[in-house]
Amino acid sequence: MTWDAIVIGAGHNGLIAAARLGQAGKRVLVLEAREAPGGLMAARGGMTVAMLPTALNADVARALDLHRHGLSYGAPVATLALGAGGAVRISGREASGAGKAVAVAYGALHDRLTRQAAALGRMLMKTPPRLRDGGAGDLIALARMGLGIRLLGKDEMRDLLRILLSNIWDVLNDEIGDGPLAAALAMEATLGGAMGPRSPGTVLPLLYRMAGRGRLRALGGPDAVIAALVRAVGAGGGAIRTGAEVARILVGEDDRAGGVRLTTGEEIRAPLILSNAHPRRTLNDLLGVAHLDAEDARRARLMASTGMVARLDFALSGAPVADGGMAIPSGERLIVAGNMAALETAFNAAKYKEIPDRPVLECTYEAGRGLLSVNAQFVPCEVKGGWTDKARATLEGNVRAVLAGAMPGFQAMIAGVETLTPADIEARFGLPGGHWHHGEFRVDQMLMMRPFGGAAQYRMPVAGLYLCGAGAHPGGDITGVPGWNAAGQALKDGRAAK
Amino acid sequence: MKYDAIVVGAGHNGLTSAAFLARAGLKVLVVEKNDYVGGAAVSRELTPGWTYSNCSYVCSLLRPEIIRALELPRYGLQVIPYESGATFSSGGDYFNYSADHDQLRRELMRLDPAEADNYDRFARAVMKQCRFIKPLLLRTAPDPASLRPRDLAELLYIGKRFHGLGERDMAETVRFWTMSIAEYLDQYLTNDLVKAHIAGAGIIGTGLGPYSPGTAYVLLHHYMGEVDGAIGAWGFARGGMGAITRAMADSFRASGGEIRAGSGLDRFLVTNGRVTGVALENGDEFHADTVISGMDVRRTFTEHADEADLPADFVRGVKRYRFRGSSGKLNIALDGMPDFTAAPKGARFLRGDLHFLDGMEEIERAYDDWKEGRWSASPYVDFLIPTQIDPTMAPPGKHYATIFVQYAPYELADGPWDDARREAFARTVIDKVTRHAPNFADLIVHKEVRSPADIEREVGLSEGNIFQGELTFDQLLFNRPVPGYAQYRSPIKGLYMCGSSTHPGGGVMGAPGANAAREVLRDLGRKIDLGAAA
Repeated sequence: MTWDAIVIGAGHNGLIAAARLGQAGKRVLVLEAREAPGGLMAARGGMTVAMLPTALNADVARALDLHRHGLSYGAPVATLALGAGGAVRISGREASGAGKAVAVAYGALHDRLTRQAAALGRMLMKTPPRLRDGGAGDLIALARMGLGIRLLGKDEMRDLLRILLSNIWDVLNDEIGDGPLAAALAMEATLGGAMGPRSPGTVLPLLYRMAGRGRLRALGGPDAVIAALVRAVGAGGGAIRTGAEVARILVGEDDRAGGVRLTTGEEIRAPLILSNAHPRRTLNDLLGVAHLDAEDARRARLMASTGMVARLDFALSGAPVADGGMAIPSGERLIVAGNMAALETAFNAAKYKEIPDRPVLECTYEAGRGLLSVNAQFVPCEVKGGWTDKARATLEGNVRAVLAGAMPGFQAMIAGVETLTPADIEARFGLPGGHWHHGEFRVDQMLMMRPFGGAAQYRMPVAGLYLCGAGAHPGGDITGVPGWNAAGQALKDGRAAK
Repeated sequence: MKYDAIVVGAGHNGLTSAAFLARAGLKVLVVEKNDYVGGAAVSRELTPGWTYSNCSYVCSLLRPEIIRALELPRYGLQVIPYESGATFSSGGDYFNYSADHDQLRRELMRLDPAEADNYDRFARAVMKQCRFIKPLLLRTAPDPASLRPRDLAELLYIGKRFHGLGERDMAETVRFWTMSIAEYLDQYLTNDLVKAHIAGAGIIGTGLGPYSPGTAYVLLHHYMGEVDGAIGAWGFARGGMGAITRAMADSFRASGGEIRAGSGLDRFLVTNGRVTGVALENGDEFHADTVISGMDVRRTFTEHADEADLPADFVRGVKRYRFRGSSGKLNIALDGMPDFTAAPKGARFLRGDLHFLDGMEEIERAYDDWKEGRWSASPYVDFLIPTQIDPTMAPPGKHYATIFVQYAPYELADGPWDDARREAFARTVIDKVTRHAPNFADLIVHKEVRSPADIEREVGLSEGNIFQGELTFDQLLFNRPVPGYAQYRSPIKGLYMCGSSTHPGGGVMGAPGANAAREVLRDLGRKIDLGAAA
């Protein structure tokens, strides 16, 4: 069997890249180290790291015809932000329960940020231009983004250039004041990363998350998304091999990537390799620094990638009820933080590799399975003293206490708990720092600098090797855009070479 | 009495602006609320026999172009470079910084054999950033939302310089402007003491910790200075910081300028959206078609202008502008030279900036205290005894210590800055120093304790922010102080801003003052004659 391309890692981006290559007639083999495809979405005893796939890019889903492969979509998920005085329900530009003045201010802020995010979002589906010495196409892409920003009009353009590198703390305090609503938005701005709301640069991730034109909420959760993607790969003639862990990317005498070697010693050849692994793992471990110049190796090593989210699943014997008597609705997104200050306080502890007393939580409750899934941040990947049983118990106890504070009677309902610390995520998924997004979401690691300058066009320093994971532009969350773009770039380069 | 221009505030930027305008032939009046000139760059005898640089305390950023154009040495300014500095750890070790490169390498190698080469790589990288930004200091920041030829040309100029860096250095520059000082230093250096010694420059005067993105850039604000052409050097103005503003004032008067000290501004006189002069608190009125405010943007417009004369978006921008005072200061008269346990007696490095610090985490925790509305339990201090270099500032055999303290909040969580809290704050700082110099506390003859609230009250810097506003990216370049109003002009015709609230920001640099003067002269259609500053 000969292959036109090998994709390393059957996470959603790997599968999407494979499906796109398949559509173009390439015979693709996807190699997955673990027992099932899906990466962070793959269930393991009912537990997936990515529990709320609500950001799938509509253009990608349409192009791959995922609907035909069995995926259907629901209304955007609503967010309930629990606070001392009850809950605020956030859905798009509406915020009910926040007080009239705050709700009006929020609506205006939401509209403005949406326009600004859309102007930046023009770069989302494109290969970012080189910082310099790019071709005319690169300049046009940059000019388009510049034009998009200009078309916002003078006031909004100026506002965007002011807040772009600012912190979410200041922006939200200026516009809506601190409280449960601000906490939910600040959570959106910081989730998965290693920055508290007061850190400059936290507005950018929020704009990124708002920029996804047509983000789809897949019904059926992670399982349904994976199943549809696996079918899409199969429809294009691609194959997925699980339990096949890549040890090395093979580089031929012509200095091109030409295949992979598995941990079993088996070698598989293909003229095109796409890696869905973390950039550091792809370059420094799988490719090997011998094939990199010193500067690229240094950049890959220094890439900021400190994950700060732990995943916990609570099996419940009853239906949880929020303080104030509201039953927790099934399938919606719950933010348990109270205010932005609580986020910053939780972040304080994590800075010093300590477990916060009161982690801030993103949860979702599934009534059918009697399950409350929790993302707890800020929980450092590396903890002082290590992740001992005691540290693990501290984390679980602290999360339980926060939940019990927001939902009286919660403690008595717990039938079981399962926990993945960021260190578990790192070990299990080969993900440096346990970082969801394969690298911190900061301006120095975005666009033409993701994962780092000179390697941001999906092409890695060795010809024939591409990066197709969240470590590539535009970045993390379950959007599928990095995989889609990377495959597109590889196809374009292949055509150009002919 | 009618003048061509009136400058409000005799701080270093006000005086710089005034001196340039007077040199261009304008009839200029400077008004000052205190009965002494200098603003935050002053030398004051607060206890008999001792001269305190009681606000700013080191000279480095003052642009050489301004020193030359205003002939400051002729008017008595002498800057003596500091040659060294040290950071003492609680364990009894220290890192001795030295301006002498060979000596510095030996010291770095003592701490860690690889650190000398690491440091050289770090220094080269920072110098690249200094070279990139330096030419921008004395230029007006372009407005990216404007299509005027001048703004487009300036954008093109910056774009070309950026492009000229090459792909890798372009990326490196973006990283430098946005990353934290801790992460930046971690890229190059390994020794905690060395990193801690340098990290201070990334947080001094700002409401950010060393782990906060954006602090690497602040480092530049303390590194891009120069003394006698030595980039990055720090100097000491003979006679204290007041020597700088005294020389500026003398240079200004020599060009025919006039200074009236002792009465503050009551309000700007505005008719039909055009400034016509100033009214002082003592009732005096002076008239001019051009008025330049050296005060920070909040005081200028919320206290002395009528909101009705200002567009709503500008007022919002002014109110949103962040000060966030974060520093305090102790000025101390000493009966003699304190003995530092870790240092050999008479060690030359004691003449430089001294810090007492174990590592980056200690500074970050000090920042966390500030966020919660407390002064730091273990504050970062920048401690200097300038009388070792300039004995004129104290009686023979006696000494003067200046202690800059980071972090101290403008508003304390548990109540106002009263005498008891000020004393407790001073005690925290003095105890920290005394742990390293056991006889320090006993040598104190007199001390002045300044919280951010005191600095605001006396010098007029809002919230006691030493830079007239935070140096975060949302308040730099074309965003400083308010997007759309970053070219020294205000919405009121004829009213300009020249303080550190404008580009390129704080430090005793003089660049905002010189830039504002250039814009005023441009609007008057006068020949611009700022020497090399033009």
